Amino acid sequence: MTLEKIRRKVRELHAKTRRELLGNIAAPLAVVVFSGLGAAIFDDPPQRTAFALALAWALAGQYFLHRGMWSATLPGDAALTTGLEFYRREIERRRYLFRRVLKWSFGPMLLAIGALLLPIVTGGVRERGAFRNMIPFLTLLALWLVGFFVIRMRQHRELQREIEELNDIERENKR
Amino acid sequence: MGGTESISTGETSQDHLYRDAADKYGSALERLARAYEADLEKRRDLIQEIHFQLWRSFQRFDARCSTRTWIYRVAHHVAASHVLRERRTFSNLVNLEELETLPDKTQGQFAADQRMNLERLSALIQQLKPLDRQVIISYLEDMDAAAIGEITGLSSGNVAMRIHRIKNILARRFHEGGSHAE
Repeated sequence: MTLEKIRRKVRELHAKTRRELLGNIAAPLAVVVFSGLGAAIFDDPPQRTAFALALAWALAGQYFLHRGMWSATLPGDAALTTGLEFYRREIERRRYLFRRVLKWSFGPMLLAIGALLLPIVTGGVRERGAFRNMIPFLTLLALWLVGFFVIRMRQHRELQREIEELNDIERENKR
Repeated sequence: MGGTESISTGETSQDHLYRDAADKYGSALERLARAYEADLEKRRDLIQEIHFQLWRSFQRFDARCSTRTWIYRVAHHVAASHVLRERRTFSNLVNLEELETLPDKTQGQFAADQRMNLERLSALIQQLKPLDRQVIISYLEDMDAAAIGEITGLSSGNVAMRIHRIKNILARRFHEGGSHAE
């Protein structure tokens, strides 16, 4: 790889970082807009409060989520650390991000959806036909939520197992 | 594009260090990438990423360890990150205990010529978790246990034990493959 190619790669990396940053804020931004609109449009006070909470949660989430994401050490900056240290750090960062994403990105989205659905569902119970019409959508939503949690939990368990294996290796190292 | 075309900002010591490393270890880095990534396109990207991170890293090189250790550490770090990013889950990767009990997917193939053996070896290494890969890849590059330990952070005894186990598994697999072919 020539030096000219490397310099081009530096420029590409900067562009990629900007694209990733935009990609990462797209979903929370949608939650912010959606919750802002919800808080402005609906008259029901509990519903407005829930939307306002979702909005504040999503905004705070941006700060906490990105703080964790951008503190990652690039492999080229970690040449003084050994493979074992670097690998452990990467796994722990991943586990930390999993928790953060659940708390700061998935949480506000769930609250905003709940705020929108609750009056529709409770109102729909009174009008039986409307509620029945919503059952397929609610079922799909529930399946998506369960699927999301199951996959996330499995990934979390795998990361935990990986950390335990690394602990064993470090114990072997000390013998 | 050749290796000596003019670069507008002029060459720095970082550039010189990188150029020497690329000349001396270029083919070793390609072998390393091969052990981490089977897909040709992705492997090309991985090699580029390794070179790029290597060039970046030389900005901080202070000779606290040998250049070779430095280069392999950076390359393995990039490759391990690549594995984690690409796989997302660890379910397809195994540790040495699991590898010993896994059936060899390439067993039925005729493994007489060297190229085929190399492919089997790569396929086997690609199933391993990053740390074990680092050990066996470094071993295949003729490094001793102390040098491997410096790169991976494992003790020499731990490195020797892992090499011994991986070699046993490989020997058994190749022996089984050979008797299948007869």
